[in-house]
Amino acid sequence: MSKPQLDDLDRRIIGLLTRDARVSNRQLAHELGVTEGTVRGRIKRLEADNLIRFSAVSNVAYSGAPQVVLIGIHAQLDQVQSLCQRISAMQEIRCVIAMMGRYDILCVGLFGSLTQIVEVANNRILSMPGVRHVETSIAVETVKYDHRVAKITDRRG
Amino acid sequence: MKDTMSQPAGIQPELDDIDRKIIGFLREDGRATNQELARRLKISAATVSARIRRLEQAKAMKVVAVTDFAALGYNFLLAVGIQVQGRRAGDVARDLAKLKHVFAAHLVTGARDIEVLLALHDYEELHALLLDEIAKIKGIRTIECGIAVDVVKFNFDVAPIS
Repeated sequence: MSKPQLDDLDRRIIGLLTRDARVSNRQLAHELGVTEGTVRGRIKRLEADNLIRFSAVSNVAYSGAPQVVLIGIHAQLDQVQSLCQRISAMQEIRCVIAMMGRYDILCVGLFGSLTQIVEVANNRILSMPGVRHVETSIAVETVKYDHRVAKITDRRG
Repeated sequence: MKDTMSQPAGIQPELDDIDRKIIGFLREDGRATNQELARRLKISAATVSARIRRLEQAKAMKVVAVTDFAALGYNFLLAVGIQVQGRRAGDVARDLAKLKHVFAAHLVTGARDIEVLLALHDYEELHALLLDEIAKIKGIRTIECGIAVDVVKFNFDVAPIS
Protein backbone atom coordinates (compact mmCIF):
# COMPACT_ATOMS: atom_id res chain seq x y z
CA MET A 1 0.00 0.00 0.00
CA SER A 2 2.95 2.39 -0.42
CA LYS A 3 2.04 5.67 -2.05
CA PRO A 4 4.08 8.74 -2.96
CA GLN A 5 4.86 10.99 -0.02
CA LEU A 6 2.86 14.17 0.39
CA ASP A 7 4.54 17.43 1.30
CA ASP A 8 3.18 20.16 3.50
CA LEU A 9 1.54 22.06 0.61
CA ASP A 10 -0.25 18.88 -0.59
CA ARG A 11 -1.60 18.32 2.91
CA ARG A 12 -2.79 21.94 3.22
CA ILE A 13 -4.51 21.73 -0.18
CA ILE A 14 -6.21 18.46 0.85
CA GLY A 15 -7.27 20.03 4.15
CA LEU A 16 -8.96 23.00 2.45
CA LEU A 17 -10.61 20.81 -0.21
CA THR A 18 -11.93 18.45 2.45
CA ARG A 19 -13.71 21.43 3.98
CA ASP A 20 -15.13 22.57 0.63
CA ALA A 21 -14.53 20.39 -2.44
CA ARG A 22 -15.73 23.09 -4.87
CA VAL A 23 -13.62 26.04 -3.67
CA SER A 24 -11.94 27.65 -6.72
CA ASN A 25 -8.24 27.27 -7.51
CA ARG A 26 -7.97 31.04 -7.25
CA GLN A 27 -9.36 31.02 -3.71
CA LEU A 28 -7.03 28.14 -2.72
CA ALA A 29 -4.04 29.96 -4.21
CA HIS A 30 -4.97 33.09 -2.28
CA GLU A 31 -5.33 31.23 1.04
CA LEU A 32 -2.10 29.28 0.59
CA GLY A 33 -0.01 32.15 -0.82
CA VAL A 34 0.99 30.28 -3.98
CA THR A 35 0.05 30.71 -7.66
CA GLU A 36 -3.11 29.31 -9.24
CA GLY A 37 -0.89 27.28 -11.58
CA THR A 38 0.79 25.59 -8.61
CA VAL A 39 -2.58 24.69 -7.08
CA ARG A 40 -3.85 23.35 -10.40
CA GLY A 41 -0.70 21.26 -10.90
CA ARG A 42 -0.79 19.84 -7.38
CA ILE A 43 -4.47 18.84 -7.60
CA LYS A 44 -3.89 17.26 -11.00
CA ARG A 45 -1.03 15.18 -9.61
CA LEU A 46 -2.96 14.10 -6.49
CA GLU A 47 -5.84 12.95 -8.69
CA ALA A 48 -3.55 11.17 -11.16
CA ASP A 49 -1.90 9.30 -8.28
CA ASN A 50 -5.34 8.22 -6.95
CA LEU A 51 -4.72 10.06 -3.69
CA ILE A 52 -7.76 12.31 -3.93
CA ARG A 53 -10.98 12.33 -5.89
CA PHE A 54 -13.78 14.87 -6.21
CA SER A 55 -17.18 13.40 -6.60
CA ALA A 56 -20.87 13.90 -5.96
CA VAL A 57 -22.06 11.42 -3.35
CA SER A 58 -25.80 10.68 -3.40
CA ASN A 59 -27.64 9.99 -0.19
CA VAL A 60 -28.24 6.27 0.24
CA ALA A 61 -31.52 7.00 2.07
CA TYR A 62 -32.92 8.63 -1.08
CA SER A 63 -31.71 5.95 -3.48
CA GLY A 64 -33.83 3.10 -4.80
CA ALA A 65 -31.67 0.69 -2.79
CA PRO A 66 -31.44 2.26 0.66
CA GLN A 67 -30.51 -0.82 2.68
CA VAL A 68 -26.83 -1.17 3.56
CA VAL A 69 -25.95 -4.84 4.09
CA LEU A 70 -22.68 -6.45 5.11
CA ILE A 71 -22.02 -9.84 3.58
CA GLY A 72 -19.27 -11.91 5.17
CA ILE A 73 -18.04 -14.84 3.10
CA HIS A 74 -16.06 -17.90 4.13
CA ALA A 75 -14.36 -19.33 1.07
CA GLN A 76 -11.66 -21.65 -0.10
CA LEU A 77 -8.46 -19.61 0.09
CA ASP A 78 -7.28 -20.49 -3.42
CA GLN A 79 -10.58 -19.18 -4.79
CA VAL A 80 -10.62 -15.86 -2.90
CA GLN A 81 -9.03 -13.72 -5.62
CA SER A 82 -11.28 -14.96 -8.44
CA LEU A 83 -14.34 -14.72 -6.18
CA CYS A 84 -13.46 -11.10 -5.35
CA GLN A 85 -13.38 -10.30 -9.08
CA ARG A 86 -16.71 -12.03 -9.77
CA ILE A 87 -18.45 -10.42 -6.80
CA SER A 88 -17.05 -6.97 -7.67
CA ALA A 89 -18.84 -7.21 -11.02
CA MET A 90 -22.22 -7.41 -9.24
CA GLN A 91 -23.97 -4.08 -9.46
CA GLU A 92 -25.55 -4.25 -5.94
CA ILE A 93 -22.17 -4.81 -4.30
CA ARG A 94 -20.37 -1.53 -3.61
CA CYS A 95 -17.35 -2.75 -1.69
CA VAL A 96 -15.31 -5.96 -1.75
CA ILE A 97 -12.38 -6.62 0.58
CA ALA A 98 -10.28 -9.76 0.78
CA MET A 99 -9.56 -10.34 4.47
CA MET A 100 -7.72 -12.41 6.97
CA GLY A 101 -9.60 -13.30 10.13
CA ARG A 102 -13.34 -13.42 10.72
CA TYR A 103 -14.17 -13.73 7.00
CA ASP A 104 -12.23 -14.42 3.84
CA ILE A 105 -14.16 -11.78 1.92
CA LEU A 106 -16.23 -8.90 3.27
CA CYS A 107 -18.70 -7.17 0.94
CA VAL A 108 -20.98 -4.21 1.44
CA GLY A 109 -24.07 -4.05 -0.75
CA LEU A 110 -27.01 -1.68 -1.26
CA PHE A 111 -30.43 -3.27 -1.58
CA GLY A 112 -34.05 -2.32 -2.09
CA SER A 113 -35.70 -5.31 -0.41
CA LEU A 114 -35.09 -8.37 1.77
CA THR A 115 -35.85 -10.58 -1.25
CA GLN A 116 -33.05 -8.90 -3.17
CA ILE A 117 -30.61 -9.46 -0.26
CA VAL A 118 -31.39 -13.18 -0.23
CA GLU A 119 -31.15 -13.39 -4.04
CA VAL A 120 -27.65 -11.85 -4.08
CA ALA A 121 -26.17 -13.37 -0.90
CA ASN A 122 -27.88 -16.74 -0.47
CA ASN A 123 -28.51 -17.58 -4.11
CA ARG A 124 -25.94 -15.92 -6.36
CA ILE A 125 -22.90 -15.65 -4.07
CA LEU A 126 -23.47 -18.87 -2.11
CA SER A 127 -23.67 -20.90 -5.32
CA MET A 128 -20.30 -19.69 -6.61
CA PRO A 129 -17.59 -22.38 -6.59
CA GLY A 130 -15.32 -22.09 -3.54
CA VAL A 131 -17.89 -20.32 -1.31
CA ARG A 132 -18.47 -22.31 1.89
CA HIS A 133 -20.67 -20.02 3.96
CA VAL A 134 -22.31 -16.60 3.72
CA GLU A 135 -23.44 -14.39 6.63
CA THR A 136 -25.57 -11.30 6.08
CA SER A 137 -25.96 -8.49 8.52
CA ILE A 138 -28.27 -5.54 7.87
CA ALA A 139 -27.06 -2.09 8.90
CA VAL A 140 -30.02 -0.53 10.65
CA GLU A 141 -28.40 2.69 11.83
CA THR A 142 -25.24 4.45 10.68
CA VAL A 143 -23.70 5.93 13.82
CA LYS A 144 -20.60 7.19 12.01
CA TYR A 145 -19.54 7.36 8.39
CA ASP A 146 -16.65 9.52 7.23
CA HIS A 147 -16.98 10.24 3.50
CA ARG A 148 -13.77 12.25 3.44
CA VAL A 149 -11.64 9.12 3.48
CA ALA A 150 -11.92 5.99 1.33
CA LYS A 151 -9.92 3.53 -0.66
CA ILE A 152 -9.51 4.92 -4.17
CA THR A 153 -9.18 1.88 -6.39
CA ASP A 154 -9.47 3.24 -9.95
CA ARG A 155 -10.89 6.17 -11.88
CA ARG A 156 -14.46 5.32 -10.89
CA GLY A 157 -13.75 4.32 -7.30
CA MET B 1 -29.67 8.06 8.42
CA LYS B 2 -32.07 6.04 10.49
CA ASP B 3 -34.38 3.15 9.72
CA THR B 4 -33.86 3.28 5.97
CA MET B 5 -36.04 0.28 5.25
CA SER B 6 -39.05 1.94 6.79
CA GLN B 7 -38.30 5.36 5.32
CA PRO B 8 -41.47 6.73 3.70
CA ALA B 9 -41.05 7.32 -0.02
CA GLY B 10 -42.49 10.82 0.35
CA ILE B 11 -39.43 12.08 2.24
CA GLN B 12 -37.35 12.05 -0.92
CA PRO B 13 -36.81 15.42 -2.56
CA GLU B 14 -38.20 15.61 -6.07
CA LEU B 15 -35.26 15.43 -8.48
CA ASP B 16 -35.86 16.49 -12.05
CA ASP B 17 -33.84 15.73 -15.14
CA ILE B 18 -31.52 18.72 -14.68
CA ASP B 19 -30.79 17.72 -11.05
CA ARG B 20 -29.90 14.22 -12.17
CA LYS B 21 -27.65 15.53 -14.95
CA ILE B 22 -25.88 17.89 -12.53
CA ILE B 23 -25.28 14.99 -10.12
CA GLY B 24 -24.04 12.84 -13.03
CA PHE B 25 -21.50 15.47 -14.18
CA LEU B 26 -20.34 16.15 -10.61
CA ARG B 27 -19.89 12.42 -10.07
CA GLU B 28 -17.42 12.43 -12.97
CA ASP B 29 -15.70 15.61 -11.80
CA GLY B 30 -16.75 17.20 -8.52
CA ARG B 31 -14.67 20.28 -9.31
CA ALA B 32 -16.24 21.08 -12.66
CA THR B 33 -17.01 24.82 -12.40
CA ASN B 34 -20.56 26.17 -12.46
CA GLN B 35 -19.70 27.79 -15.82
CA GLU B 36 -18.66 24.44 -17.31
CA LEU B 37 -21.80 22.73 -16.05
CA ALA B 38 -23.95 25.63 -17.29
CA ARG B 39 -22.42 25.34 -20.77
CA ARG B 40 -23.02 21.58 -20.96
CA LEU B 41 -26.60 21.85 -19.68
CA LYS B 42 -27.43 25.04 -21.63
CA ILE B 43 -28.65 26.83 -18.51
CA SER B 44 -27.19 29.77 -16.56
CA ALA B 45 -24.35 29.41 -14.06
CA ALA B 46 -26.59 31.02 -11.44
CA THR B 47 -29.15 28.24 -11.95
CA VAL B 48 -26.44 25.59 -11.61
CA SER B 49 -25.21 27.19 -8.40
CA ALA B 50 -28.75 27.39 -6.96
CA ARG B 51 -29.49 23.76 -7.91
CA ILE B 52 -26.30 22.47 -6.27
CA ARG B 53 -27.05 24.45 -3.13
CA ARG B 54 -30.60 23.08 -3.02
CA LEU B 55 -29.46 19.47 -3.54
CA GLU B 56 -26.90 19.82 -0.75
CA GLN B 57 -29.39 21.48 1.61
CA ALA B 58 -31.92 18.69 1.00
CA LYS B 59 -29.09 16.21 1.74
CA ALA B 60 -29.84 14.53 -1.59
CA MET B 61 -26.17 14.74 -2.50
CA LYS B 62 -22.92 16.23 -1.37
CA VAL B 63 -19.82 17.10 -3.38
CA VAL B 64 -16.85 15.78 -1.46
CA ALA B 65 -13.09 15.58 -1.71
CA VAL B 66 -12.30 11.97 -0.91
CA THR B 67 -8.77 11.23 0.23
CA ASP B 68 -7.23 7.78 -0.03
CA PHE B 69 -6.50 6.10 3.31
CA ALA B 70 -2.88 5.61 2.23
CA ALA B 71 -2.49 9.32 1.37
CA LEU B 72 -3.15 10.02 5.06
CA GLY B 73 -0.75 7.27 6.08
CA TYR B 74 -3.46 4.79 7.11
CA ASN B 75 -1.88 1.52 6.01
CA PHE B 76 -4.04 -0.95 7.95
CA LEU B 77 -7.79 -1.35 7.65
CA LEU B 78 -9.65 -3.58 10.08
CA ALA B 79 -13.29 -4.69 9.93
CA VAL B 80 -14.33 -5.31 13.51
CA GLY B 81 -17.53 -7.00 14.69
CA ILE B 82 -18.65 -6.34 18.26
CA GLN B 83 -21.13 -8.06 20.54
CA VAL B 84 -22.64 -6.00 23.33
CA GLN B 85 -23.77 -7.11 26.77
CA GLY B 86 -25.61 -5.22 29.52
CA ARG B 87 -25.84 -1.92 27.68
CA ARG B 88 -27.71 -0.42 24.73
CA ALA B 89 -25.77 -1.20 21.53
CA GLY B 90 -26.44 2.33 20.25
CA ASP B 91 -24.68 3.83 23.27
CA VAL B 92 -21.68 1.53 22.82
CA ALA B 93 -21.57 2.43 19.09
CA ARG B 94 -21.66 6.16 19.90
CA ASP B 95 -18.73 5.74 22.31
CA LEU B 96 -16.80 3.85 19.63
CA ALA B 97 -17.65 6.54 17.05
CA LYS B 98 -15.79 9.10 19.19
CA LEU B 99 -12.48 7.32 18.61
CA LYS B 100 -10.46 8.91 15.83
CA HIS B 101 -9.42 5.60 14.32
CA VAL B 102 -13.06 4.64 13.78
CA PHE B 103 -14.13 5.70 10.26
CA ALA B 104 -17.50 3.92 10.20
CA ALA B 105 -19.79 2.42 12.82
CA HIS B 106 -23.09 0.70 12.08
CA LEU B 107 -25.73 -0.92 14.28
CA VAL B 108 -26.49 -4.22 12.60
CA THR B 109 -28.77 -7.24 12.79
CA GLY B 110 -27.35 -10.73 13.22
CA ALA B 111 -24.75 -12.40 15.38
CA ARG B 112 -22.94 -9.12 16.13
CA ASP B 113 -24.46 -5.87 17.26
CA ILE B 114 -22.00 -3.29 15.91
CA GLU B 115 -19.76 -3.29 12.84
CA VAL B 116 -16.81 -0.89 12.86
CA LEU B 117 -14.22 0.09 10.27
CA LEU B 118 -10.87 0.96 11.86
CA ALA B 119 -7.89 2.54 10.09
CA LEU B 120 -4.41 2.51 11.60
CA HIS B 121 -1.13 4.08 10.57
CA ASP B 122 0.83 1.13 11.89
CA TYR B 123 0.49 -2.00 13.94
CA GLU B 124 1.82 -0.30 17.10
CA GLU B 125 -1.24 1.96 17.28
CA LEU B 126 -3.37 -1.07 18.16
CA HIS B 127 -1.84 -1.22 21.62
CA ALA B 128 -3.23 2.10 22.83
CA LEU B 129 -6.42 1.82 20.77
CA LEU B 130 -7.41 -1.56 22.15
CA LEU B 131 -6.00 -1.56 25.67
CA ASP B 132 -6.47 2.12 26.58
CA GLU B 133 -9.40 3.38 24.50
CA ILE B 134 -11.68 0.48 23.53
CA ALA B 135 -11.07 -1.25 26.87
CA LYS B 136 -12.60 1.76 28.67
CA ILE B 137 -15.91 1.47 26.81
CA LYS B 138 -18.48 -0.36 28.92
CA GLY B 139 -20.68 -3.07 27.46
CA ILE B 140 -18.37 -4.75 24.95
CA ARG B 141 -18.70 -8.52 25.25
CA THR B 142 -16.64 -9.79 22.30
CA ILE B 143 -14.47 -8.29 19.55
CA GLU B 144 -13.81 -10.10 16.29
CA CYS B 145 -11.29 -8.75 13.84
CA GLY B 146 -10.73 -9.05 10.11
CA ILE B 147 -7.61 -7.56 8.55
CA ALA B 148 -8.09 -6.08 5.08
CA VAL B 149 -5.64 -7.78 2.74
CA ASP B 150 -6.84 -6.38 -0.61
CA VAL B 151 -9.52 -3.77 -1.27
CA VAL B 152 -10.83 -4.96 -4.62
CA LYS B 153 -13.79 -2.59 -4.92
CA PHE B 154 -14.69 0.50 -2.91
CA ASN B 155 -17.46 2.56 -4.45
CA PHE B 156 -18.48 5.66 -2.53
CA ASP B 157 -20.89 7.28 -5.05
CA VAL B 158 -23.82 6.43 -2.78
CA ALA B 159 -23.37 6.79 0.95
CA PRO B 160 -25.12 7.81 4.14
CA ILE B 161 -25.39 11.61 4.38
CA SER B 162 -26.44 13.03 7.73
